[in-house]
Amino acid sequence: MRALIVDDSAVMRKVLIGALSRAQITDIDQAADGQEAVDKVQTEDYGLVLMDWNMPRKLGIDAVRDIRALGKTMPIIMVTTEAEKGRVVEALKAGANNYVIKPFQPQTIVKKIEDTLARSQGAG
Amino acid sequence: MASEISIEHINPFIKSTRETFHTMLACEAVRGNVAVTSQQPEDPRQILAMVGLSGRLRGMVSISFPEQTALRIVERLLGMSVEGIDETVSDAISEMANIIAGGAKADLSGEHDTPLELSLPTVVHGKGYEVEYPSGAVWVEIPFESELGGFVVRVTFAGQ
Repeated sequence: MRALIVDDSAVMRKVLIGALSRAQITDIDQAADGQEAVDKVQTEDYGLVLMDWNMPRKLGIDAVRDIRALGKTMPIIMVTTEAEKGRVVEALKAGANNYVIKPFQPQTIVKKIEDTLARSQGAG
Repeated sequence: MASEISIEHINPFIKSTRETFHTMLACEAVRGNVAVTSQQPEDPRQILAMVGLSGRLRGMVSISFPEQTALRIVERLLGMSVEGIDETVSDAISEMANIIAGGAKADLSGEHDTPLELSLPTVVHGKGYEVEYPSGAVWVEIPFESELGGFVVRVTFAGQ
């Protein structure tokens, strides 16, 4: 299974690569903003997307809407500093499957990844 | 432009800084004495990250790290050694500022329907930089100590 990490911070992408590795996911692609993510999902097949919110060119929330509008159904987890309840609701309405607020402990995000994939496979 | 700073505006930044260091770096950040200043630091050995807040409240948070502190933070965050301030260090400091500002923003937004907005972080480092701030801005300066070194969080709010 291939995962896509979308974050404008290269350091955060490295941190998330570590988290995915702990969840036994090592086939990982990266995008530095929402637009690059939308471009990539049209040509690559991903089983999971980790999506930041605040990024240049295209916000993560808009990228989620675009990805769902393209008919893509892979699980998307928002990984963001946006911590308000309203933001979480907005992301879930846009089509995100789960939500992780930065800062996070490694075990927290690993569990969210595993839970999200288990739910997705159960539904699929 | 009158500044309106109250303890309710400052505590979220102290809380968020502690939480970010504790959660991301397994490190306790201990607050020193809070001071009020109209100056920003011009120490070239510092790396400075700034994030703007807009919406119901408008303001800015800046976090300045001595180089050694910045390097130790990145080493802890990524589990790899770094020897000097480079793109990776700037990026890590930028993200730390973003996370600290984001946590504070959630508290400041409270139950309001429209959350505050964050700007993308800006990082400055090196000799001879000057940053222009709104005239009359008053900064609340919050020094922290940690096992990774000291650093300073500064917060300012503009009048509505």
